[in-house]
Amino acid sequence: MVIVELAAKHISYSYTPGKTVLHDVSLTLKSGEILYLLGPNGGGKTTLLSCLAGLLQPKSGNVYLDDQPLGQYSAAERAQQIGFTPQIHVPAFGYTVKEMALMGRAPHLKWLATPSEKDNRIVEESLEQVGLSELKDRSYTEISGGERQLVLIARGLAQRCSILLMDEPTAHLDLSNQYRVLEIIQNLTRQGLSFIVSSHAPNDALAYADQVLLLNGGWVTDYGKPTVILNETSLSAVYGIQSEVIYEPNSNGKIPRAVVHRRPSAIDPGSLDDPNSTLNKVFEMSIETPQIIVVTGLSGAGKTTFCMELARVARNQGKAVRGIISPGIYKDGEKIGISIRDLETGDEKQLATLRGNNTSEISTPRWQFNDESLTWANRILGKIEPGDLVIIDELGPLEFLRGEGLVAGLSLIDSGQFRVACAVVRSSLLPKVLQRWPKSIVISGNLEKS
Amino acid sequence: MPPSANMSNPGLQLSKKIIIGSLIILPVVLFLLSLTLGRYQLGPFGVVRVLLSPLFTDLANDIPEVAQRLILRVRLPRILAALLVGASYGATGTALQAIFKNPLVDSNILGVTTGAGFGAALALLWMGSQWQVQISAFVFGLVAVSLAFLGSRLYKTTPLLVLTLMGILVGSLFSSLTSLLKYVADPLDTLPSITFWLLGSLTSITWGRMLPLMIFTIGGLVFLWLIRWRLNILSLGDDEAKSLGVDPTTMKIVIIVCTTLMTAAAVSVSGVIGWVGLVIPHAGRLIVGPDHKHLLPVTIGLGASFLILVDDVARTLLPGEIPLGVLTGLIGVPILMVLLRRSRTGW
Repeated sequence: MVIVELAAKHISYSYTPGKTVLHDVSLTLKSGEILYLLGPNGGGKTTLLSCLAGLLQPKSGNVYLDDQPLGQYSAAERAQQIGFTPQIHVPAFGYTVKEMALMGRAPHLKWLATPSEKDNRIVEESLEQVGLSELKDRSYTEISGGERQLVLIARGLAQRCSILLMDEPTAHLDLSNQYRVLEIIQNLTRQGLSFIVSSHAPNDALAYADQVLLLNGGWVTDYGKPTVILNETSLSAVYGIQSEVIYEPNSNGKIPRAVVHRRPSAIDPGSLDDPNSTLNKVFEMSIETPQIIVVTGLSGAGKTTFCMELARVARNQGKAVRGIISPGIYKDGEKIGISIRDLETGDEKQLATLRGNNTSEISTPRWQFNDESLTWANRILGKIEPGDLVIIDELGPLEFLRGEGLVAGLSLIDSGQFRVACAVVRSSLLPKVLQRWPKSIVISGNLEKS
Repeated sequence: MPPSANMSNPGLQLSKKIIIGSLIILPVVLFLLSLTLGRYQLGPFGVVRVLLSPLFTDLANDIPEVAQRLILRVRLPRILAALLVGASYGATGTALQAIFKNPLVDSNILGVTTGAGFGAALALLWMGSQWQVQISAFVFGLVAVSLAFLGSRLYKTTPLLVLTLMGILVGSLFSSLTSLLKYVADPLDTLPSITFWLLGSLTSITWGRMLPLMIFTIGGLVFLWLIRWRLNILSLGDDEAKSLGVDPTTMKIVIIVCTTLMTAAAVSVSGVIGWVGLVIPHAGRLIVGPDHKHLLPVTIGLGASFLILVDDVARTLLPGEIPLGVLTGLIGVPILMVLLRRSRTGW
């Protein structure tokens, strides 16, 4: 088999001008390799695959096939080298398995030609390679998802391509079908075929991939050998989850075998007064490195109360406590506003009111923020001196998604100029928070109890 | 490979070939039989003799001159037109369903029939000759599709969806305009002729009017037949077609131009005949499956046969003519209902 190399050099792509969805991606795929694209939904995996397949033309940079820019190949020449299998979908018409695979012969046929006996033989051979000979006269719409994926692989084989780009080939497949598809992919690499596979399964990457490219928000956050780059930190940063790596037995914790998703544990923080409490352990750990506590929970779970209590006890212990809290303003049992209080001086201002008709510059669907109070709070957060405990209540979608509001709070925690930082966020933002501060300790649930 | 698989395949292929072959011969047989049908009775041998009489002068001497003229100048062009129009609708419906990836599409998806209807009504309103009506129908059929196509160019996203939408919009526009023409038309004279034209008929066909129909239909059928296998690939969607080395945009434009010319040529001769382009591809798929390599020839045969039969009913069932568009609806809808019930694999 001919050795074919696919490379992308600094490619960027945007569907609408100004909204770049792929930033400066470079990669090299050698013959017989499997490259996994991992990353959250909307991270740019499908766009990257489409650029590599020649379906989209990168706005800058270039894709190279054997050192020739992809644009220099004709559509048919390109299709003779690069195959593409989209995410599984059911076509409008129920072609048989064989008819479906036969379409892979298109780039080798003249414009007005129909497949010949030779093409039929090639397709039968391809179907046999993926173990589908028995099903060749069945309708593609009647077979299982795993079998459909194998038909698409057989189509790629019939295409005689050297590189197969696959968009989430194991999505919606049960475990045995995932295994079946991945083993066949693995076996085909021995013939020199190479694969780029987009996926949501880091463990498949650990088991099968030669290279992994982590894509987040259109940026490559990591690229290299799966055993090197797939770890707790990188996965938290990409997916915003807490994860744990399980290592191969007898590898002394060197070779990762699987990454498991850990639910943010509902740690009972305990009281700072209790020497055995989690909170105290966090302060002990903070002697080595600054620690971030993320307090989360539904509205009314007692997040602000928890912060005030924490501040009180810490201050009693002689710790330097700084930051802001934002208690609600209640009237007849209904929350009608939010105030903001400087923990150091006790000064308080009204931060937000329920949204009325007049709109200010900064507002969310429910709350309308007072620009002056925000500036004031940001100034407080901006000039906080290094201390033992920094509390910020709360950081919301305004800060994380729009870069407005208490932005000084974000940079304060980024700076690490504290021993322990305690930030209140709502549960829905947890993935974003964990992407920003992967090592944070999450305290969630009903805090009133503790 | 197990021997059983090897054995079953050629058998399957052979029976499929027989089915396809017979469906292509079927319209020819129906064509000859239909020539015998009508008020003036003449057996099949008589018909064949009359047909060959222009070549061998003595062949039909015993048959009255009137009968010869009836066969050659009235029945022959009419049945030939039914064959061509039916074949055209069957093939264009199949091709358009493939490129629109939608089995509910027919030849009128981009408004060609509605546009042609308006063109004919306009010419009839101005007391145009039959030729003028035919030309006006043809031109406005093309105008309607061009408008839909240009309209869709204004938008950048999902061109196929926008094109379908534009087809519906342009169709509505022209049907409103046609209603307007009917409203202002003379209710004793022009209005009936417009209404009758819109119901579809092959009554007034002559050899002279056949010529454009023959050129566009045969040319279009040959083209669609040549690219028939690529319709499979286009039906998978643009991304997959591109990844298989096919340029979907160019191919689709060429196919739309081709089917539009074919449909406009057919409509301008026959008036509005619905349902054929929708029903026939479904029937074809049920018989030979969705592979366009086989489906396209089969739908040509089926479409031609269907319209010859329907036209036979139209001209022989009652003393007067029954409008073709009425019959294709009355026959086509129940057939489609049965077909949809029987189709197992989605469509």
